[in-house]
Amino acid sequence: MNPEHMTPFGRRLLDRRNFMKNTGFSLGGLGLAQLLAGEGRASSDNPAEFTGKAPIRPDIDPDNPYLPRQGHFEGAAKQVLVIFCPGAVSHVDTFDYKPALAKLHGQKPPGMPAVTFEGPSGNLAKPFWDFKPRGQSGKMTSELLPKIGELADDFCFVHSLHTQSSAHPQGENFINTGFTMEGFPSFGAWATYALGSECEDLPAFVAINDPRGLARSGKNNFGSGFLPAAFQGTDFNAKNPPANLGRPMDYSASDDKQTVDLLQRLNAKHLEKYPGDANLAARVASYELAGQMQMSVPEMMDLASEPESIHKEYGTESGSELKREYAKNCILARRLIEKGVRVVQLFNGSDPSGGNGITNWDSHSNIADTHAMQAEIMDQPTAALISDLKRRGLLKDTLIVWCTEFGRMPFLQGNGTGRDHNPEAFTCFFAGAGVKKGYSYGQSDEFGFKAAVDPTSLYDFNATILHLMGLDHERLSFYHNGLERRLTNVHGHVIKEILV
Amino acid sequence: MMKRNSTVFLLSGLVALLSLPAGSGAVDFEKDIWPILEAECLDCHGPDKQKSEVRVDQRASLLKGGDIGIPSIVPGDPVASFLVELINGSDPDLIMPPKGSPLSEEEVKLFEDWIAAGAEWPGQMDEVIEEKVEHWSYLPVKRPEIPESDATNPVDAFLNAKLKEQGIKTNRPADAVSLIKRASVILTGMIPTPEKVREFEAAYGEDSDTAYAALVDELMASPHFGERWAQHWLDVIRWAETNGSEANLYRKNAWIYRDYVVRAFNENIPYDQFIREQLAGDQLGVGEATGFLVAGPHVPAATVGREPAAIRQARADRMDEIMSTVGASIMGVTISCARCHNHKFDPISITDYYAMSAVFQGVEFGGRYPEFAEDHPRRQRASEIYPKMFAQRAILREGGAWEEDWGGFKELQFGNQRTKALRIDFDWASVGVDELQVFGPDEYNDNLALARSGTELKEDQSLADNRHPLKNANDGKFGTMAWRAKAPKDSGKKPWVELHFPEERTVNRFRFSSNREYYFETDYLLQGKGGDLPSFRVSVVQDDGSWKQIAASKAATDRIAKNPKLKKASDELHRLIGELTDEGPRHSFVGQFTKMPNKTHVMHRGSPENLRDEVVPAGFSLMDGDLGLDSETPDSKRRLAFAEWLTDPNHPLTSRVMVNRIWYHIFGSGIVATGSDFGLAGAMPTHPELLDWLAAEFVDPGRMEVAPWSSKDMIRLLVMSDAFKRSSLPDQEKLQVDGSSLLLWRYPPQRVEAEVIRDGILQASGKLNPEMGGRSFRIHNVKKTYAQWEVVDNHGEDTWRRMLYQERMRRVDDKIFTAFDFPDCGQVRDKRPVSTTPLQALNLMNSDFVVEQSEFIAERAIKESGGDPEAAVKRAFELLLLRQPYADELAACTNIAGSNGLNIVCRSLINSNEYAFLP
Repeated sequence: MNPEHMTPFGRRLLDRRNFMKNTGFSLGGLGLAQLLAGEGRASSDNPAEFTGKAPIRPDIDPDNPYLPRQGHFEGAAKQVLVIFCPGAVSHVDTFDYKPALAKLHGQKPPGMPAVTFEGPSGNLAKPFWDFKPRGQSGKMTSELLPKIGELADDFCFVHSLHTQSSAHPQGENFINTGFTMEGFPSFGAWATYALGSECEDLPAFVAINDPRGLARSGKNNFGSGFLPAAFQGTDFNAKNPPANLGRPMDYSASDDKQTVDLLQRLNAKHLEKYPGDANLAARVASYELAGQMQMSVPEMMDLASEPESIHKEYGTESGSELKREYAKNCILARRLIEKGVRVVQLFNGSDPSGGNGITNWDSHSNIADTHAMQAEIMDQPTAALISDLKRRGLLKDTLIVWCTEFGRMPFLQGNGTGRDHNPEAFTCFFAGAGVKKGYSYGQSDEFGFKAAVDPTSLYDFNATILHLMGLDHERLSFYHNGLERRLTNVHGHVIKEILV
Repeated sequence: MMKRNSTVFLLSGLVALLSLPAGSGAVDFEKDIWPILEAECLDCHGPDKQKSEVRVDQRASLLKGGDIGIPSIVPGDPVASFLVELINGSDPDLIMPPKGSPLSEEEVKLFEDWIAAGAEWPGQMDEVIEEKVEHWSYLPVKRPEIPESDATNPVDAFLNAKLKEQGIKTNRPADAVSLIKRASVILTGMIPTPEKVREFEAAYGEDSDTAYAALVDELMASPHFGERWAQHWLDVIRWAETNGSEANLYRKNAWIYRDYVVRAFNENIPYDQFIREQLAGDQLGVGEATGFLVAGPHVPAATVGREPAAIRQARADRMDEIMSTVGASIMGVTISCARCHNHKFDPISITDYYAMSAVFQGVEFGGRYPEFAEDHPRRQRASEIYPKMFAQRAILREGGAWEEDWGGFKELQFGNQRTKALRIDFDWASVGVDELQVFGPDEYNDNLALARSGTELKEDQSLADNRHPLKNANDGKFGTMAWRAKAPKDSGKKPWVELHFPEERTVNRFRFSSNREYYFETDYLLQGKGGDLPSFRVSVVQDDGSWKQIAASKAATDRIAKNPKLKKASDELHRLIGELTDEGPRHSFVGQFTKMPNKTHVMHRGSPENLRDEVVPAGFSLMDGDLGLDSETPDSKRRLAFAEWLTDPNHPLTSRVMVNRIWYHIFGSGIVATGSDFGLAGAMPTHPELLDWLAAEFVDPGRMEVAPWSSKDMIRLLVMSDAFKRSSLPDQEKLQVDGSSLLLWRYPPQRVEAEVIRDGILQASGKLNPEMGGRSFRIHNVKKTYAQWEVVDNHGEDTWRRMLYQERMRRVDDKIFTAFDFPDCGQVRDKRPVSTTPLQALNLMNSDFVVEQSEFIAERAIKESGGDPEAAVKRAFELLLLRQPYADELAACTNIAGSNGLNIVCRSLINSNEYAFLP
């Protein structure tokens, strides 16, 4: 990077190479390195006896924990874009075509429960939208998401997912962290802990929150849990930069320059007393990245440089306000992927309600309206994002994961207008690096009530994503409170059938 | 892998099984059973491999069973024999053998018959497996000899012996400024003031030992000492003031527990008593101490949905949080590992887990009025207020009925009435009532409306709401499970309820609420107290069955409003109610207790849907955990007995775990690096003898004038050591041998925590408000139930207290200091990682807090230096870095102060490594 283009932060403080030469650096395996690699006996003795398979510790440079690292093997995907839809998208109204629902509409066949999450259940209901064959594969998807449906030839659906909780926060925790409880590292934290980042001046893991705010499980969805905080997701979107990114209002450019100059002087002096201290060096480096982020993040967020055709394709100027905002987030997501950010987690839904009065995909009543309102926000921008990535050749190295925390029931609730939570069957899809195209894996039963053929747990789901990134989910672990903790706990099998 | 030392004893000739049914048709082991075992099972469960720790080639192993925690065979009882369950396919997920064709019905029958007949196994009938504990931390503490040494402090004697072994020479003592910063931060969490530094430097120059001892005394007597050490304890148990989970609701008055912990460290409550009080403070006059038990996150029953299985699972999860808290903090074991099967590494069986959970079976997340000893200030305050309230009520009584508004509920007092039934007619068309209560003069606090007491409720069926049935109104439970009734528009109807007592009662008060749980348990919600309550009329039943109105809330209120004397009494009464709620015993989130808990069962594979054997409350079986209790033992006695077991001087874990924690907080890493896991998967101690000597000394001090279990004296012993006083400067040669400085040839430098950075800035600016305790300061919004907390003000004057008093919100970002590895309070965390991220840099450079405080520090430095620019720079250096600037620094800073302002210099100082690192 041309130093002229750096902030005072980046340029002054932190011409690290010179800096280290001047202060006689030698980076030894001191405290931070140890911490980053995880402590405990299991790490030093024979780890194999604890997990069956020996953990592979990432070789993390304490001076810069974000440097790119080798995976466990060559993975198909270098980067991952997760499009997460909080609230639970109804699989039977979108991608999981169940003709039996039309046939038995209004009836209640045996085997259906009397009480589900929200209370008494009603009768089977046919999809609220018509299904049509799409593309060459003829995949049946509904008119609720027509633009996304048109891309079905590029997708690899998994129709037989099931999860462990029928409550939103636990469901979100489970798909994103592998545990229903709180405080476990998220997928993005695990991936960046293992692999670092391909991008020097942006955070390794970015969470793009919905314009309405955070999802139900809040920060837990992109937190670092017990992994070092360095690997937590940095959250910002097209509208709101990360907290405290910008120069304070009362300060001038000269104020920042003077601050940084003086800081460098102070730290250099201090380092003379503690030559070779990796913790001090790491802190200096963190200011460097902060300085770079002050440049690069606003640059990323500035969508004015995008051509009109892109704005049009994504829909930043048409439709509801929430859709326009989400469309901008989609463009931001593409720009981040383009720059090499390791994991981008894009949210389509939140906890607080926004302009249209709904919060996310949760549709306990009037699903015909609420799902339609949410679909209007998601369909065009998401389809544009996927097409755009494909057009630019980015899907060669990038895996797209479209997902939601669980499904919805094939029957209505007691109120006769909404569908309750269904943890026993739901659909997600992959696209891009390493996965088959125009393919569908697994099946739910004839009503979409339970996973029936090749039932797939979210452990399998996460194990597969890690596998695609070149990581063995059984060996990517971190010692915490007596256990080698994993994203997949002690479970999970890679879904081999969907791999190219 | 060897987890336990399993020894097979042959008790030959001692036992003879005489009652074996013999005769024709009996199963023959050699002929019928062994061939199946050999062909189908031995590959995975034989001498070479023992999957799930099951071994089928020894009868004794089958009697013991695998890691699932139940016997594979119970001679004489095929139904209780897990092996049968596995081979007969009753659970398809678990069927054995897992591959190939299952055993035939005949084969299964052979096993059943064989077990029914006593599981005859020639030559092995007398073998049993006896378990022995060998892991160091589960063996009793033995006080080691102190190594020969010149050192006066035994801690140094142990450390020096090890250093000598490694041939490492120790660093020289630290300079006075480093030492006072180190001691102040470690003991109080505060950076010293420049004045204090100067004073100490002078005294240290004269007589270093005396000066340092006096400094330590002073710091340990400071009330900041308790604040610092409370913070550590709160971290370990992930205490926070919100629930976590979906709504992440605020826990009202939970801070009362935080204040208890501060007090406990400041008053040096012996550690064994500290444990007893936290487990059973309700019986010891310190009810607020049980906030410990409910420190972890929980999913409230109301948010898990309506499926009974989900509700049971949530309860089991809540119990597991309690188990984790107790296990990790006091015992240093990862107890949750034994929730679904025997612990993989440690001698904790699934039965141990559930036996320990039986100890806490009476505990639930929630609040109550804490029990206080008579001399507790809050109780004393209440006894001053009550007589004043009675006096006002006496005045009101003369005027007839009156209504009292207690915030969370309303109560109408209407004078004694003898009746068989009461009727309430509401004035609104729609009502929601979580609980209605009736009281009389006799048993003053007995609720006569409870369904349990035989009272039956009736309502207008045409207004009923099936999802919110009437029975919710007298089930003794507050919260969202309420009774609701709604009259259609223009129907002319209003909801009413009749309370039919089992026999005639004397009643004088009616109390009701819409959501009293919200009022008691939480706060800062937009819906507040759970909504307004309607006015209503009260009638009693006559002998002829007709109703006679005796009081009406609105009429009473109107009448009082018009009468100055009554109005004054009512106003005064409500003022007193407010005073009592603030200053008296208050409903606080410190746990709820059931007197007689349900029976506890082992949950097979951790599932509440699969209950196995009943267990009685107990500690770990391999650590003499039998408490002599049974399922009939009341809750209170269980927790107290368990606390006694934990604090037995011979308990191998309690003292070791605590001295190790103290060590970690003083030296930056524990003697055992995994402070909440002393089990086989945890780290080995770097200095095992030292750890045991400290543990022994903690429980049974050999030093004069030191009381047993004194945390303060243990802390003093460590900070008085030479090791603590050493310079932290690096030395490449020594680093080659001991890169992490674990042997303490130097004091290991470390980045200070979020609190120290923040509190130090406030102290430097002179803005720190030293007020201790009480309600936490808020930086967040008031929100809807299912909304996220958002930062509203994280820098204004109301936030200028120590960070310990900032509301601890689970998994919520404060947008400044949580980035410095502040725990998210989700999982038990025995220590804070020290990571370094660009967000920390951004927050410390650009946040409103730092910008404003830099300004304040600059203002102060200028004011206190008489207008000389150089003196102002020097003062700023003193305030933040505790030293004078070097000549080049002074010149540069004076320049910057002139061109950009001294606040810019202060901003740099705050961000410097020197400020953030403990030398």
